Amino acid sequence: MNVRSWLRRKPFSHAANNRSASSVAAYEPVSYDLEENLQVLRRLFTETPDMNIRMIPIGDTGGQAALVYIEGLTDKNSINNNVIKPLLNASGPFNHAVMTVGRMTVQNEWASITSNILKGNSALFVDGSAEVLTMGTQGWPQRAIEDPQLETSLKGAHQGFIESVDQNIALIRRYLPHQELKIRNFQVGRRGDTRVSMLYLEDVAHPEIRQELQDRISRIDVDVIINTGELSELIEDNPYSPFPQLMLTERPDTAASQLAQGRLVVLVDRSPSVIVGPTTFTSFFQSVDDYSTRWSIATFIRLLRFFAFFVAICLPAFYIAVISYNFELIPVKLLLTIGENRGSVPFSPFIEAIFMELTLEMMREAGVRLPAPVGQTVGIVGGIVIGQAIVQAGLISNIMVIVVAFTAIASFILPNYDLVAGVRLIRFLMMIAASFFGIFGIVIGLMTLTGHLIALESLGTPFGSPFAPMRFADWKDTLIRAPLWKMTKRPLSVHATQSVRQGDNKPEGDGS
Amino acid sequence: MKPYALNDITLMQYIMLINGMSVSFGFIEIPGMMATKVGTDGWITILISGLITMAASFITIQLMKKSPHGTLFDLLKQKFGTWAGRAAAILFALYFLLYAYDGLIYTVRLIKGRMLMETPAFLIMLMLLLPTYTIVRNGLRIVGRYAEFAVFISLWIPLVYMYTVKHLHVLYLLPILKGGWQPVLSAVPGTLFYYLGFVSSIILYPFIKHQKKAPIALLIANSLSILSYLSITLICTMFLSPDEATIIHQPAIYVLKSIELSFIEQVEGLFIAFYAFIFSLSWIPPLYFTVFCLSWVMGRADHRIPLRLILFMIGTSSIFYIPTYDELEKISIWLGESGIAIEYAAPSCLIALLWIYGRVKTERNQL
Repeated sequence: MNVRSWLRRKPFSHAANNRSASSVAAYEPVSYDLEENLQVLRRLFTETPDMNIRMIPIGDTGGQAALVYIEGLTDKNSINNNVIKPLLNASGPFNHAVMTVGRMTVQNEWASITSNILKGNSALFVDGSAEVLTMGTQGWPQRAIEDPQLETSLKGAHQGFIESVDQNIALIRRYLPHQELKIRNFQVGRRGDTRVSMLYLEDVAHPEIRQELQDRISRIDVDVIINTGELSELIEDNPYSPFPQLMLTERPDTAASQLAQGRLVVLVDRSPSVIVGPTTFTSFFQSVDDYSTRWSIATFIRLLRFFAFFVAICLPAFYIAVISYNFELIPVKLLLTIGENRGSVPFSPFIEAIFMELTLEMMREAGVRLPAPVGQTVGIVGGIVIGQAIVQAGLISNIMVIVVAFTAIASFILPNYDLVAGVRLIRFLMMIAASFFGIFGIVIGLMTLTGHLIALESLGTPFGSPFAPMRFADWKDTLIRAPLWKMTKRPLSVHATQSVRQGDNKPEGDGS
Repeated sequence: MKPYALNDITLMQYIMLINGMSVSFGFIEIPGMMATKVGTDGWITILISGLITMAASFITIQLMKKSPHGTLFDLLKQKFGTWAGRAAAILFALYFLLYAYDGLIYTVRLIKGRMLMETPAFLIMLMLLLPTYTIVRNGLRIVGRYAEFAVFISLWIPLVYMYTVKHLHVLYLLPILKGGWQPVLSAVPGTLFYYLGFVSSIILYPFIKHQKKAPIALLIANSLSILSYLSITLICTMFLSPDEATIIHQPAIYVLKSIELSFIEQVEGLFIAFYAFIFSLSWIPPLYFTVFCLSWVMGRADHRIPLRLILFMIGTSSIFYIPTYDELEKISIWLGESGIAIEYAAPSCLIALLWIYGRVKTERNQL
């Protein structure tokens, strides 16, 4: 098999490999005989010790009913008080109205019954009836709502998404209690059967983009989706790019504000982050705090982030280029200082820079994976190693340490983790280019990078907007953050069907 | 109905494509050329040839108005048969290929001469082909966006030249027309070379979103070219004394030596490196047009196949042979001559031909 066909996405169905022994009876209807039903059930669920079958006598008719559920996935209180207790207390023939459960459906096919049981619903088989009642008695261990881990904010809300899609939808609905907020559900994954929900504002989001996303999600054919990141890799426009084309966020307020701008939000059950799309390159430079700080300050911070982006990509490469090729670029005095510092360093600038950058990356990665109490050690060790000791040993020059520190800080300013990950990768490529061609290598690198970013698309819309294609109206919320009352229209890049989003809100103060 | 609708470009992109293609390295070369051939009156030559270009580009648009939904080749195919279209497409493919090659070689020579003297030229060439492939393979829209973006991020160039203002001497311009009209006019054909590129309208026209405004866009694009040439030539003539100007190679870069900044020692090194964005416009769009023509000949096949072939050919040939500076000048002269034929003369001839063809046809119908 050659590499190309290996890389290409193949329309491949693994349905044939996925047949399990117990699914033979799956599409058969339920029988009238309770005993027979229970036998089928035992055949379907072999080696399932956590499944519980509770026999319940029906009133004084002498008939029996069987309540089937999986322990651990169900809420015990709800089952005991709302299902079993009323049934035991009832008299006369079976009446489903006695059970005080909110969600109750009637099933008569084994496939849907088993899937209901496996998802934490309980199923009630009644003797003499071919209809099975499934009741929403789900209840499993859940994490409490906490501050988002990855995207902290100073002034924004302190609620982050958790691992339940219903809860997450509720968190978003709290921001947008509007009937135009629509939800479309998908089931993704043959074994995982993960619920994926797409949220959008019906009267704002562009229908074609919505359709595109819908098609992409329903085309997925995998075993199981564990995390949102997996889903986004499966539906992205260009999965070979180092840059994310769909934004992942774990903040309900960000998701709600993106929805209001006309974007789509995709939630994945069991995953605490959601996908936002279509995005543009510049939207990765926005943070929710920008809108709650004063606009002039937010603008300054925006500019700082764009500057930091270029520093994080180019600074080590620039150092290499200046030392090995283009020393005419920097002032003589600075050159002399660098020369003095580098006098005792035995390595070429490229080796020096690569060594330091790799050390930094290793420390960062070590810090991420280590448990918090041990994590501190990394900081101390790193501080000593890339701090004074390595310079005193004469391995690395002082200036290089400064360069590395600068790049690290610059990459921490960028608010989006996925973007930073891309930036880090590009940085190494830039360093290689600079080590061969100096400044010219950096420029060619930047050119290729621009070409790549311009060519990227997010759900079929241009990723480079509003710079390529140039859309001046969208500049209000990119390099700068214009006052909120100036942003009367939704961004052009989302192709919203209703472009006006607010009226004239300019405060009538003395200063106007 | 509109076969190229999915790939439309905005007027701004159209302007920047035309402007970027014509300006690119002309900006570096034109002051020196004016100084040696015309003397201090070079700006008059630039104005005259600019006006000629404007007229010629309007003729091109007039030609293309006959075919709002197809390229010139589609028009020729429709009027004179498939082979006329194919012949024209191959002709233009060769022309744009020469255009792109000239731009590439110029950049390689300039970078090698000024920045990377030790690096083998073919390595520089291969580096240049890297962004070229990234951009061209994605089609016209991306090329258009790139042109737009490249021009916009190069807006620092006028700012840099502002620094030279305090060294300028207006007196160098006087007296106007001291050599008479003869040198001014004789340099016009040579100057037209630096305005080439507007003929790409024959391919771009069906892709433009608001075709009615295309003439205005061309007006803006040409004015921008004239403006940039005028300003750089005026700066160089006022900066260098008339005698100095004839000796110095590429005065547009030399002028930058006067700039003193506290954080950069030599501005021109950085200038040349980042000017590569503008240089790239002299080969990225023409290369796209080349592969467009070729894929048109092959019946709208995937344009990436001819692109890979051409880039592979340019890349491998550069390992064995890259034209020297003198040979580059010869290529430029060829390109200039064929450019005058193809860009300035051919469209009006075609209009005449179509007109005659139309007359003959109606007459035949009347008989």
